Amino acid sequence: MADLPLSGIRVLDFTWAWAGPFCTMQLAHLGAEIIRVETTARPACVTRLIPPFADDVPGPNRAGYFNQYNQGKRAITLNLTKPEAIDIAFALVKHADIVTDNYAAGVMDKLGLGYDKLRTARPDLIMISMSGYGQTGPYKGFVGYGPPASAACGMFFGTGYEGGDPGEIGISYPDPNAGIFGAFAIMAALTHRALTGEGQYIDQSQLETALVLMPEGLLEYDLAKREPERHGNHDPVMSPHDCYKAAGDDEKWVSIAVGTEDEWRNLCGAIGQPQLAGDPRFKTAAQRKQNETALDQIITAWTKARDRWESTRILQAAGVAAFPSMGNKDLAEDPHLAERGYLVELEHPEVGKRIHAGIPWKMSGTPCAVRKPAPVRGADTEDVLKSLLGFTHDRIEQLRKTEVLI
Amino acid sequence: MDKNAKSPFSAIKVVECGEGISAAFGAKMLADLGAEVIKVEPPGGDLARRRGPFPDAKADPEKSGIFIYLNTNKRSVVADLTRPEGRELLAKLLADADVLIHNVPPPERAARGLESAALCAAHPKLIVTSISIFGDTGPYANWRGYDLTVANAGGWAYLSPGASPYPDQPPLKCFGSQGDFQGGVHAGMLTLAAYMHRLKTGKGQAIDVSEQECIAAMLEMNLMHWTYAHRETSRLGSRLLGPWFIADCADGKIFALAVEEEQWKRLVELMGNPEWAGEELFKDRIARGQNQDALKALMGEWLSQWKVQDLYRAAQKRRIPFAPVNTMRDLYENEHLAERNFFVPLEQPGAGTVNLPGMPSKYARIKWSLRRPAPRLGEHADEVFCGEYGVARDRLNELRKAGVA
Repeated sequence: MADLPLSGIRVLDFTWAWAGPFCTMQLAHLGAEIIRVETTARPACVTRLIPPFADDVPGPNRAGYFNQYNQGKRAITLNLTKPEAIDIAFALVKHADIVTDNYAAGVMDKLGLGYDKLRTARPDLIMISMSGYGQTGPYKGFVGYGPPASAACGMFFGTGYEGGDPGEIGISYPDPNAGIFGAFAIMAALTHRALTGEGQYIDQSQLETALVLMPEGLLEYDLAKREPERHGNHDPVMSPHDCYKAAGDDEKWVSIAVGTEDEWRNLCGAIGQPQLAGDPRFKTAAQRKQNETALDQIITAWTKARDRWESTRILQAAGVAAFPSMGNKDLAEDPHLAERGYLVELEHPEVGKRIHAGIPWKMSGTPCAVRKPAPVRGADTEDVLKSLLGFTHDRIEQLRKTEVLI
Repeated sequence: MDKNAKSPFSAIKVVECGEGISAAFGAKMLADLGAEVIKVEPPGGDLARRRGPFPDAKADPEKSGIFIYLNTNKRSVVADLTRPEGRELLAKLLADADVLIHNVPPPERAARGLESAALCAAHPKLIVTSISIFGDTGPYANWRGYDLTVANAGGWAYLSPGASPYPDQPPLKCFGSQGDFQGGVHAGMLTLAAYMHRLKTGKGQAIDVSEQECIAAMLEMNLMHWTYAHRETSRLGSRLLGPWFIADCADGKIFALAVEEEQWKRLVELMGNPEWAGEELFKDRIARGQNQDALKALMGEWLSQWKVQDLYRAAQKRRIPFAPVNTMRDLYENEHLAERNFFVPLEQPGAGTVNLPGMPSKYARIKWSLRRPAPRLGEHADEVFCGEYGVARDRLNELRKAGVA
């Protein structure tokens, strides 16, 4: 196997739901060994419990949500309500470079697995806690999920159709966002360790990782004492800038964005109306912005007369940013994503071959790849305990009977 | 730790090219840890300088809020990379840089000397991180795109706002520039991964980040709805679980959510155990999602009697995950963020004090800091080119007259 950036790095992963597993999946892509800790003693990780299941047959190893975000990892079962399980977790930390969790603040401490305890096992340990609101401050105990974080960080307030109410944003975006910032923070801590020998603890608040994506809104208030207005898909400066209806009655749309005068002239030519470029209503970006409703009507008349891909190809050939609004089927069948090797289809023991989203980057010197599909529950319990802790098969069976390894 | 001690990250020299958000944010992530970043701007300046928001809403390229946010801790030089003399200046910087981060689109790279393979061949230790809309390869590599393009090409807009109350309206882009920010944070993460690899092996490499793919990786379980169960998903339809909606309180809006059955039970108690809560329509979280219109109507009166902050606290006290639909002002005045020192006041010459969103992750040892304000266009050309890279002052002045620097 090629030497990857995180080859030889081991992560003991206590995360669940989406944010945490999204973080550790990045580390798996980069070559780290992820040992994911789960238990059947409490309600299973939510991503194993909710649809879609393969062919609509429910089962903890059949859930697309889990199988997507746990690609490339190993999985053990460890019932952390049992003292012996805590001892085993502590023993595993000696063999880990990184510990990750996304419980509410304080939960790892209560379990006896807080950073101060764990660093006695491994002085240069890196540990990241990815909670909703962080480990300090008046809201530290508050419960956080991705959707309420979208409300709390101002994204709902800034999103919505022209002149309408604050809107939702379609996905639980602050979750994978916290995951990717967590992966960055771990990379920073690993670099710090490589340069200084020191490990460290990282306190990450989901709310704060979302707020760093909100500078346009926040600074409008800070600098001009104005709240951002909601303008649908429109842009404060660029015009045209919207998602336009394509031919037919079904849900087919094409996005078009014009950012320069060259692009504007090219658009006018491409839609067969070169005279628009000289039309006093649309000569400059500011004028187009002012007469945006009329402009959108002209463009909609053109997009409604053709397929969204035809519009896209005509406009891209003229150097104009256009692209269909992609649905899930579109993505799974997209030739560009297939040619780049982005769509990953590995044989999973229970669901067979299914397309998953793969790695959104390429590295020329350390070619990352999804090395294996998501693990079935407890797939690696025996191997991990034998190889790292020297447990015997009999001891492992005994610990299963006493509900420590469930 | 000694406050004046140099950050170990100051050993990392980064050159940033391109305009707008993605490359600038990736380089900012490294700069805020202590890396030395030289920002190479085109003669007209980074387009982020023209985007605002501006103090008192008056446009001024030295006072753009988004530019200031993205470019603190950096030094600015100007070089027109479309001209050979400009590329010579860049070559000088790259000769002893560790990292180049840029977002110049693939079809424009050759003319600017920014092709990854050629750069890696010329500088074997250099890490070349490029961010683009569709990636460096594949049938769409040369296509044009902006953040709106990414939101649609990545499949996010098609799902948004979700359970749409306005089915006639189009797919909806989220606020801000999320595709570009994701390109940036991915680039930052991967640059550090490549840097660690270089510490071990001495070798640089090229990194290709596709914003379309970054967003397509963030669609929850939507892609698998197709590949596992042959169901297409969109912004229409009902919520998977309920309650899950934005509601009106007496003085603002709150996001009402209960995802676990236990949370719903505690919410019913908080509502004073109304009789309707026991009805078949609301028997479990799936049913409450499907019958959310009825649920919303029944909860509406109770919700409208609360003040947002009171209900937020009352719900959270019972571990029910409500959250306010915060305005920007709410966030700047938020007691929790204040106690965590989230916003960082920065003295920006000409613009006064700007309160910037601060560190995304709190490190126990890495010293995250905003050490210097955002640079004026070309502010550090003499210091960098003449002081550190041996360009004669006369030569730099010549290049200035020619519009190259």
